Amino acid sequence: MRKNILATSFVLAIISTMIIPSCVVRRSEPIVGNMFAPVDQLAIEGETIYMAKCQKCHPGGEGGLGPSINGLPGFLKPVQIRHGLGVMPAFKQDDLPKDELKKVRIYMREWQKY
Amino acid sequence: MRSPNGGGQITTIPPRSVHAGDIALPPGYKIEPVISGLTFPTAIAFDDSNNLYVIEAGYSYGEVWGVPKLLRVNGDQLTQIAAGTDNGPWTGIAWHDSAFYVAEGGEKHGGQILKISREGVMTPLISNLPSIGDHHTNGPLIKDNYIYFGQGVATNSGVVGEDNAEFGWLARHKDFHDIPCKDVVLAGENYSSKNVLTDEPDDMVSTGAFVPFGTTTTAGQVIKGSLPCTGSVMRIPINGGPVELVGWGFRNPFGLALGPDGSIYVTDNGYDERGSRFVWGTGDLLWKLQDGMWYGWPDFSEGKPLADNGEFKPPTKDGIKALLQTYPNTPPKPAAIFDVHSSSNGIDFSRNPAFGFNGEAFVAQFGDMSGAGKVLSPVGFKIIRVNVENGTIRDFAVNKGKRNGPASFLGSGGLERPVSVKFSPDGSALYVVDFGIMKTDKDGIQPQKETGMIWKITKI
Repeated sequence: MRKNILATSFVLAIISTMIIPSCVVRRSEPIVGNMFAPVDQLAIEGETIYMAKCQKCHPGGEGGLGPSINGLPGFLKPVQIRHGLGVMPAFKQDDLPKDELKKVRIYMREWQKY
Repeated sequence: MRSPNGGGQITTIPPRSVHAGDIALPPGYKIEPVISGLTFPTAIAFDDSNNLYVIEAGYSYGEVWGVPKLLRVNGDQLTQIAAGTDNGPWTGIAWHDSAFYVAEGGEKHGGQILKISREGVMTPLISNLPSIGDHHTNGPLIKDNYIYFGQGVATNSGVVGEDNAEFGWLARHKDFHDIPCKDVVLAGENYSSKNVLTDEPDDMVSTGAFVPFGTTTTAGQVIKGSLPCTGSVMRIPINGGPVELVGWGFRNPFGLALGPDGSIYVTDNGYDERGSRFVWGTGDLLWKLQDGMWYGWPDFSEGKPLADNGEFKPPTKDGIKALLQTYPNTPPKPAAIFDVHSSSNGIDFSRNPAFGFNGEAFVAQFGDMSGAGKVLSPVGFKIIRVNVENGTIRDFAVNKGKRNGPASFLGSGGLERPVSVKFSPDGSALYVVDFGIMKTDKDGIQPQKETGMIWKITKI
């Protein structure tokens, strides 16, 4: 189990630090040319949680202190969130309960496709 | 760790190019230049006839000195109303009851709040504010016949160190240090550094919190509070008078604005990774000002303790230790958390439904000065809007391109470093003060004169 986590983390490290930054995807409203207006209440709540816990390092999902995550495949995000990566801290259950993680994932999915 | 890649890390410094078409806005908005060629502009004001005025700071990080000025803008013409001396930066301006009120940052001689008449007669209302360190006197905001202003801290995180010599002020003011607003009890942490005040290469000193460089402290030591103090929002009566404390424990309270409910909101720049006490990963913050509240500096960020907190532990360095033994109160949570190193500064609220986003805060993000902190991609260099009820942040005006960054980094004619925003008196237009080009790299900070400008955003 531990080896699998380490292997996944290694792959994420490669992807996040070397490949993703060169595939920055800007999703902000002025760039997209549309307004983000989720109707799913879970996405709305997820955005609020994202702003409190993720925005400062990944502003709008773009790079900043941390790398861009807008281009990161969805299935990798919860792994990175729960286990951390490099200088990114791990967000365990106490920091980000399961239901909040779900809301953040829904928000990020909506943000990617509006 | 990867090398930093901030927005100021340009190889060559281009001439300022101005092209509104290089700036993206939400559908239904347009942006146009108002005037360019300014040197270190920081804020604007409108008089009661809706004439536009701008202040030039007269000082920039990188220690470039000039003369602070108040200028009236009329088309592409500038008329000087008043000029300061060598005590910039002038960081903010407000118009009230037929006079201007200017925050004089006071890097050389201490901060002041100046009252300036229409004819340019200047009268200091308060002087000798503790502004001769890293951060300055900011604001001002007029409310209920009081002048509210922010006072930034002297150091990054409470301890005078080598980084303060690099800023330039430690050699000028060897005994300067942060001043708590109320008595604080120290944990007795001391930090070793080179003695930058001598030429001896092996000379080392040990420095504690809230004391001069090279002075140690002990656990349980009390540092007396006094006014005026650093890391605070204070106020004086509109015609001058005794200074009062409103809130403290800020780091650099730069922008002050009245929210829709009449509360004062404050933008507060977060910690940097520099000096004797590195702090990692702290966002700039938006606070709702509460009377008497302590907001956490130097031991908290976002209401979270720095000590023993992996979120703020600098990579490759030891964990952070608390500087204070006891705390005045549990710090509140911020209204919003901005990007790390975004330098989220000037703020104003939309009050006209015709403009849109009524009740939301608009914030100018000056942008990273990578060098004081590492980023993987440029951060800031744009205007954002904030729902202060739930902390949601959305971009409002950004440069076009495959990535974010200032125009000089992208090779375009868009925004450089927005430093403040202000709505017109009728709320129909948002003015953006753009400081201009500032190169930042391992060689230091290099601001460029005559590259500042003002933009105007309106609904189509």
